[in-house]
Amino acid sequence: METKKPPRQRDTRDRREEGIVSPVEGFNERGRKAAGDKALHDAIQLFTHKSVAGRNAVLNALPEAPELRERAYGIKQRTMANLDRYLEQMADAVEDRGGNVFFADDGEDVVRYIGELARRRGAKVITKSKSMATEEIELNHRLEEDYADLDLEIVETDLGEWIAQLAGDTPSHIVGPILHMNLERVTKILSGAAGENLPPNVQALAAFARKRLRQKFLTADVGITGANFGVAETGTIVTVTNEGNGRLVTSVPPVHVVVMGIEKLIPRFEDLSVFTRLLARSGTGQELTVYTNFVTGPRAEGELDGAEEFHLILMDNGRSKLLGTPFEEALYCIRCGACLNVCPVYRQTGGHAYGSTYSGPIGAVITPLLKGTDEAKDLPHASSLCGACWEACPVGIPLHDLLLKLRNHQVEEGLAGKGQKAAFKVFENTMKSPALYNISRKAGRLAQKPLLKDGSVKPVPGPTSGWTGSRDLPPLAKKSFRELWKEGI
Amino acid sequence: MADRAEFLASIRHRTRTGKYKPTHAPDVAWTPKESPPETRLIEDPSARFIEKLEALKGHGFRAESGDEAREYVVSLARSRGAKLLVRWDDEELAGFDAPLADAGVEVAVPRDPEGLREVAGRADVGLSTASWAIAETGSLVLESGQGRGRSVTLLPPTYVAVLRADRILGTVPEAISKYAGGKVPANVCFHTGPSRSGDIEMSLVVGMHGPGDVHVVVVG
Repeated sequence: METKKPPRQRDTRDRREEGIVSPVEGFNERGRKAAGDKALHDAIQLFTHKSVAGRNAVLNALPEAPELRERAYGIKQRTMANLDRYLEQMADAVEDRGGNVFFADDGEDVVRYIGELARRRGAKVITKSKSMATEEIELNHRLEEDYADLDLEIVETDLGEWIAQLAGDTPSHIVGPILHMNLERVTKILSGAAGENLPPNVQALAAFARKRLRQKFLTADVGITGANFGVAETGTIVTVTNEGNGRLVTSVPPVHVVVMGIEKLIPRFEDLSVFTRLLARSGTGQELTVYTNFVTGPRAEGELDGAEEFHLILMDNGRSKLLGTPFEEALYCIRCGACLNVCPVYRQTGGHAYGSTYSGPIGAVITPLLKGTDEAKDLPHASSLCGACWEACPVGIPLHDLLLKLRNHQVEEGLAGKGQKAAFKVFENTMKSPALYNISRKAGRLAQKPLLKDGSVKPVPGPTSGWTGSRDLPPLAKKSFRELWKEGI
Repeated sequence: MADRAEFLASIRHRTRTGKYKPTHAPDVAWTPKESPPETRLIEDPSARFIEKLEALKGHGFRAESGDEAREYVVSLARSRGAKLLVRWDDEELAGFDAPLADAGVEVAVPRDPEGLREVAGRADVGLSTASWAIAETGSLVLESGQGRGRSVTLLPPTYVAVLRADRILGTVPEAISKYAGGKVPANVCFHTGPSRSGDIEMSLVVGMHGPGDVHVVVVG
């Protein structure tokens, strides 16, 4: 039986050049819709609550966690400050071990490299282990379109990613790609792939997926993975999975291609003792995932499996722009998903509302930075700036600070709404002049009168609707502090 | 296509000329604990290893002798109705062949890639040793090498590893330090319990793509 090509129900490919509005805009509208979806809400609550509880329990049982967090931040800081040197060391180490290294400026470079590799190998089936970097550049669609003549069958092998692929959907969480789908929907999707009705039973559905994907593992010509870490000292690529698909994709096919963002580098093998102890704990509440797999180059002489050909693609795709800028810390992220799970905004809207590969606080930060601030201008506002993300981050990225910096940047660049700018100009002038300030106090109390209902200020149509639409404001006090002070409190 | 020298030069330029140097030390939100909880002290690594492995739905067994280890593996193969077992080409495992054959289980020891490919996919049980184990996480540390196919530990639905008690390390950093600064084998895997997935409604599935039935026999 052949897996059907995924139907392209939702084309997520960025088509800005063709004049279609970027999908990254419009967070408010998508977010509002998502927040009203009861089933989605319940699914997000289930996932985030369980994840946060698990994370807290294992991190609390690790007395050195605070020290590890500081060390992780320090290691990433040092890595970025010397990134050119570590990239060179990594490339040399991989080549020393008989691997190939390719530097890719962007997604186009990656697609072309893999496409030509597939052509040279005469590849038909490509298995993939979950990788955000390849999601970011929409590798699957682009390979299928740009190399249509090769008729490639590209198969995601992480259970959630495969189901998303079959449905033409995208992951809504870094760690739990289909947390937004309920059992009924998954049953329908997998029944479609099976060509028969499968029972709505998780074990039975997983058994079907295991069987179907096993054939793909065994017949794949090329295996593609991302990288959780790349060790410059040894040229080692580390991937963590629970299902074992990562280890299968790197062990069985004759060719292994790694697509790694340049920020995934760490200098020394020993640094892994810091990061492996933080990653699974923060992501899934496990001490280690089931498979923490370290691959260094192709199979050695005399080995019976592992890839014969090993390719490491070091991908920039906008990352290097952040080096040496106030946004550099966004590159320290290890993609654990903890900031999504604790974010009060993510927990209401889920991942798809962000309209980008990366969602939650880290997505709100890096999407505008990688895609351009004007393309994703809503996202820095998809946050209450409560700082829960910063607190949860195992690397200590000040995410709420970065969001604030992005907002400032928008105002400086003139990307903020005209109403917002004008309002702040009026505010500034008023605060400068005592006379104007006095008038404004009284005017405010008068102006709110028609809006008061049940003791609070209700939504106002027009230019202030963005503020009042989602907030119930308390009415202004009958007498101001200033007036009370004059009267003698 | 990006040229390596240009690519690196552009990154060097940015890191050297960038004005901003991040200075935020992570805040104090993660307050250090004053004393390690008791559970952290590992007095008996074998016992801790087995305890952790069982908590992950794996099975640990302490064998007094090599004979006892062989008995365990034979009775495991029998209880799974195994017809074919694939194992690493490792001296420590050679003694398992005769008792398995006596129990009617065919033993395959692949010595070339085609042989491994042919047999690993249809074997009922995979048998290997392990370079190390990690007590605090219940992990096996598997190294690739001559005769040590990765698929042996991955494709059969039942997987059993046999290792000596003195190979059990305490912590993850101890295991990592075995490779730090030295030559790393082409593949190292920290294998921690049965393969699992929680992707559908967070319901636990054991044995997703790798083995769901994982046993470790600790000898001595």
